[in-house]
Amino acid sequence: MSAPHVIIIGAGSTGSATAHDLALRGLRVTIIERGEIASGTTGRNHCLLHSGARYCVTDQESAKECITENMILRRIMPDLLELNDGLFVAINEADLAFKESFLQGCAACGIPAREIPIKHVFDIEPFLNPKALAAVQVPDGVFEPFRFCLAFLATARQHGAVVRRYTEVTDLLCSGNSVTGVKVRDYRTNRVETLRADLVVNAAGPWAEDIAAMAGVKVPVQPTAGVMVTLDYRLNNMVLNRLNKPSDGDIVVPQRATSTIGTTSWKVEDPDLIEIPPEHVAKMITQGEQLLPVVSKIPTRAKMAVARPLINKGDADGRTVSRTFECFDHRYDGVEGFVTISGGKTTSSRAMAERVSDLVCNKLGNTAPCRTRDVPLVSYRFFFQ
Amino acid sequence: MARLDVTLQVFRYKPGEQTRYDTFDVQVADTAFVIDALDEAWALYDHSLTFRHACHHSSCGSCALRINGVEKLPCITRVSDVWDGKHPIRLDPLRNFPIVSDLVVDVKGFFQRMSASQMRITRDAEPVLPVSVDTPAPGVQPEAVELPDNLTRFNRFENCIECGICMSACPTMAIDDRFFGPAGLAAIYRACQQTDDPAEKAHLLALADGDHGVWRCHSVFECVEACPQAVDPAGKIMALRQELLARRFKKAERK
Amino acid sequence: MEELKYSKISQAVRRFDLRRRKLGSWAYALNHITGVGLVVYLYLHLAVLSLLLRGPGAWNTFVSLARSPFVLVLDVILFAGALIHGLNGLRVALTSFSIGIRIQKALFSMVMVVTVIALAVVAFKVFGG
Repeated sequence: MSAPHVIIIGAGSTGSATAHDLALRGLRVTIIERGEIASGTTGRNHCLLHSGARYCVTDQESAKECITENMILRRIMPDLLELNDGLFVAINEADLAFKESFLQGCAACGIPAREIPIKHVFDIEPFLNPKALAAVQVPDGVFEPFRFCLAFLATARQHGAVVRRYTEVTDLLCSGNSVTGVKVRDYRTNRVETLRADLVVNAAGPWAEDIAAMAGVKVPVQPTAGVMVTLDYRLNNMVLNRLNKPSDGDIVVPQRATSTIGTTSWKVEDPDLIEIPPEHVAKMITQGEQLLPVVSKIPTRAKMAVARPLINKGDADGRTVSRTFECFDHRYDGVEGFVTISGGKTTSSRAMAERVSDLVCNKLGNTAPCRTRDVPLVSYRFFFQ
Repeated sequence: MARLDVTLQVFRYKPGEQTRYDTFDVQVADTAFVIDALDEAWALYDHSLTFRHACHHSSCGSCALRINGVEKLPCITRVSDVWDGKHPIRLDPLRNFPIVSDLVVDVKGFFQRMSASQMRITRDAEPVLPVSVDTPAPGVQPEAVELPDNLTRFNRFENCIECGICMSACPTMAIDDRFFGPAGLAAIYRACQQTDDPAEKAHLLALADGDHGVWRCHSVFECVEACPQAVDPAGKIMALRQELLARRFKKAERK
Repeated sequence: MEELKYSKISQAVRRFDLRRRKLGSWAYALNHITGVGLVVYLYLHLAVLSLLLRGPGAWNTFVSLARSPFVLVLDVILFAGALIHGLNGLRVALTSFSIGIRIQKALFSMVMVVTVIALAVVAFKVFGG
């Protein structure tokens, strides 16, 4: 008897990592993506490999998860990361007052953190605001979300997973109270197809609600957009964060020969049609100037905005497994063979995948353990070969 | 915020059908990029319009196509730079790649070459220095910068984002479909710099020296003009030629 | 899955489509054209010289033809072609080994400027003087 077939809807970081996990556990996997890999939320990511320090005071569960996953990703995809650490910088007295709780928070969450004498910091970061008062070094890193997903998928493919791009799920197949597969349109040929599955995983990010509605269930996902501005010059060697509680435009992520300032937050109705509010863009520049005053003189290379799938915290109950991301087994909604995984951040996508894969395997009677902590990913280039 | 009413003329192809151009009228902000206009056309009018995109900030390289006949990344090309108010913005897929559907090309052969080059996608970075922002000059060689403890070296992603623009612009790619291509040869050059192993260097140089390697380049330099990431593929091809010649002379001397 | 691939001939022709191409492509196309032109001229030249084997009569007929304005114009074009091919060839030879690669466009401009000036001088001498 052949292994159970799981269909994953959405090839962003969550779907890609889940395809990898399930394929490694011996399941037959088909992952369906309506566009290019990571063309949804994941692609327009800030590219920050979180150390977790950002959340070490306000959300310690999230912080611990970040540092754990940060270390795992350094092991399994070492060649896909810029590893220059990050700095949390105090620009004013209010920031400086936050330093103590920040350092305590990092210690409590197991995040290596070290204060660096500020005059040394100006040597490392010559464009840093000369008013900076203090800086703490943490193991932030930088990744590239497209290749991040490709690496997971290339490895999954080597274990038999099938990846269908430019193929959109138009309906879920239901039989009685079970989801039994998907109906798709393959846009390469405009042909409609039916694919049967033993279980369907909804990893469609901000479009998760649209997919869930096809099975007559709801998921509390609120598409929440954010904008980022990429400057045409690399102004910082290390990731620069504002030493304070999380707020808009308080991170500048260097990547290759650019620096990207982000981000903001506003609710959107339709994640497919997002208008970038110019005042948000202006705010990125003014906030960025706090850390790097020269920002306003650098030409903008790109601007991006996309909806994150934030979980509406209004309905926490026994189903929710974690406050950072949520895994919904829809049997509690009366529908078998269908689960949704949403929320989270790319840094923790492997953990999200582990959680939903545990659930999937539980439901399908597969007892293989998760191996994704240790199995190194193959070269992302193999995705296309 | 001003808005622009823009017309896109997009290449369409599905297997078994004739190629054609579809026209889409979209409204975008005057500060929008071409990828935003294309995305809007897809969202509003036609989900069957297939195109590649992911990062929207020239890091992934997936969105490369031709805008008004010229290879560009639509994510960093402003609509206002290619819209004259009248003539539709024409979008075509890259040249010299097989076309899968609409603007999507098959990059399997391209990535086979990039794999064969063995270039690592990350490299040592030049530390950021306080040069004048009027003329930013990345890659300036620093005097030793004092760094505390473990912060002695930075790394970053290679310039090349594997977008394939150079492969499309190169006329040799048009006539020799086994040509390793500007991206592939530039990657071999970088890979040679990344390794200390003489056997690996020799293997890579042999690849560059092959029938479809550096000697096929006709010095047209379209790759250099088109590259959005300042990789300078032709410069690297010529540098490989110098290296290959130098090795030939050394071998001849030793005989 | 049927992918669309343009035929070899179609691709070969398209690489000479110079619309929206940069100077390097113009240099490339010109070198091809002048190269073919010079080869054709070489054969013509050999054919013409073989008239010598047919004695003074045949040769004299040719020489009077060679003085006609039409042929003189062709000669001037030939001169331009040889100059472009030779000078650009030098540019390619240099840049092929990284010499002058940063100024390759300026080098091509120089090739064309030198050609135009030399052409003007030669045309003057042939038709003016």
